[in-house]
Formats: sequence, structure tokens, C-alpha cells
Amino acid sequence: MTDPRYAEIETHRPYLMRYAVSQLRDSQLAEEAVQEALVSALEGLASFGGRSTLRTWLTSILRFKVIDLQRRAVSERRTIERDDGWADGEGEAWLDDLFDETGHWRDPPQAWSDPHAALEQRRFWEAFERCLDGLPPMAGRVFFRREILGEETPVICKAEGITASNCWVILHRARLALQGCLGRGWFAEGSHGG
Amino acid sequence: MAAEPEDLHCRAASRLLSQACDRPLTEPEVAALRYHLGECFMCRNFEANLEFLHQASERLGSGK
Repeated sequence: MTDPRYAEIETHRPYLMRYAVSQLRDSQLAEEAVQEALVSALEGLASFGGRSTLRTWLTSILRFKVIDLQRRAVSERRTIERDDGWADGEGEAWLDDLFDETGHWRDPPQAWSDPHAALEQRRFWEAFERCLDGLPPMAGRVFFRREILGEETPVICKAEGITASNCWVILHRARLALQGCLGRGWFAEGSHGG
Repeated sequence: MAAEPEDLHCRAASRLLSQACDRPLTEPEVAALRYHLGECFMCRNFEANLEFLHQASERLGSGK
């Protein structure tokens, strides 16, 4: 019989990929790191005692692969996916799409009904991942490190080479984008098996 | 850049609500934000949605 955890490991791939991208800032390198981590995980599955969650265990393996590839990337002087223009806080033209000339919401935020029930639904997580995928690369990395890994903004700014206020602008914009995306992509549908 | 108006509009309130997730707000910022939230249900919705986004993100990081 095949260990059922083989299949389970695969379900963590999107998260691991996001983790690797947030650290390596290069999707090709991230792909390599995840691939190597999954191979190691499958080989070492017998040693996984279940003391931590499978995700934590996989992430700890991936962390080593990421450090390894970071070193390699530095020595090969690989370039990184840097700026997607979201850090520019001066113009703030993007805010004009969301707020009118008097500073009011063009599309007011809705009260989401029973959002906590959504957390128990697999389809909600798929919708959430799709929304995260919709963010530009740098915004996706910054949001992931801040909200999902819970890193402090100075750490993230330093890694990305941006100022604190750049970081806040990116996070503000990412949160507004995700609110819009979840509003349209999940909460607007109304019925999710109730 | 122009100074923040004392009476916040939603655009500035949304910025402060987001930054409150990342840094401590100053006292005048907190006061202005509280006043605005008392008046504006749309920004209260945004505040609640940010809180939900935060919880969902944390949950995603912990592997559910």
C-alpha cells in the first residue's frame, strides 16, 4: 500500500511554492527549491514522526533548500523579479480607481456574512489562493511575508530593498486588492453549501 | 504633499486601517480614525474585512 501521506504532501505544493517565491524572488529558483524539498520529503517520510504538522515539517525542509539556492543565486549573480510599480507611494494614481475625487469609496466594502464559516471550506481556500496569485510578484511576496509568515515590516523592507513607507503602500494596496477579489470571487456568490 | 484633513475621508481612513496592521498609529491618527469609523459603516466593513484577511492568512501559514 502506498503511504496516503504521499498524496497529502502534494496538496501543500502551492503553499510551499509561495513560501519559496517570497524568499527567493525568482519563480524558477523557487520551483527548483520546492522540487528538491519534495524529493527529500518523500525519501524521508518514514522519519516524519507527526510531532509537528506535515506543513511545518515540509516548510523546514524547504527552508534549507532555499538557503542553499540563495547562496547559489548570489554566486551566479542571478537577477531577481524586483519591482512591479506598487511601491510608488507618491503618485497614488491607483487609489483614484478605488476612491472618487471627494475621497469616498467607489465600490464600498461589503459586510461579509459569516466569514468564519468560510475558513472551514476547501473551496474558500482555493478562492483565496487564486486571489493571492492575482497579486503582482513583489506585492505577493511582501503580503506573504507580512501576513502569512508574520514577519515584521523592517525585515521585509530590508530583504526587498525598499523603504518602510513603500512597504506600507504595497500592503495597503494588496489588502484592498484581496478584499476586492474575495468579495467578488467568494462572498458575492452567496451560497457555499450553507 | 498636502496635510491630512482633520476630518478624514475614506481614502485616508483605509490607509490608516491598513497601516495599523503594520505599525503603531500616533495618537492623532487613532483619534481621527476612531471619529471617522464612528460615522462610516463602509470603513467599518473594511476594518472587519482586514481582520478576516489577517485571520485567514495566519491560518494558511499554520497549515490549517
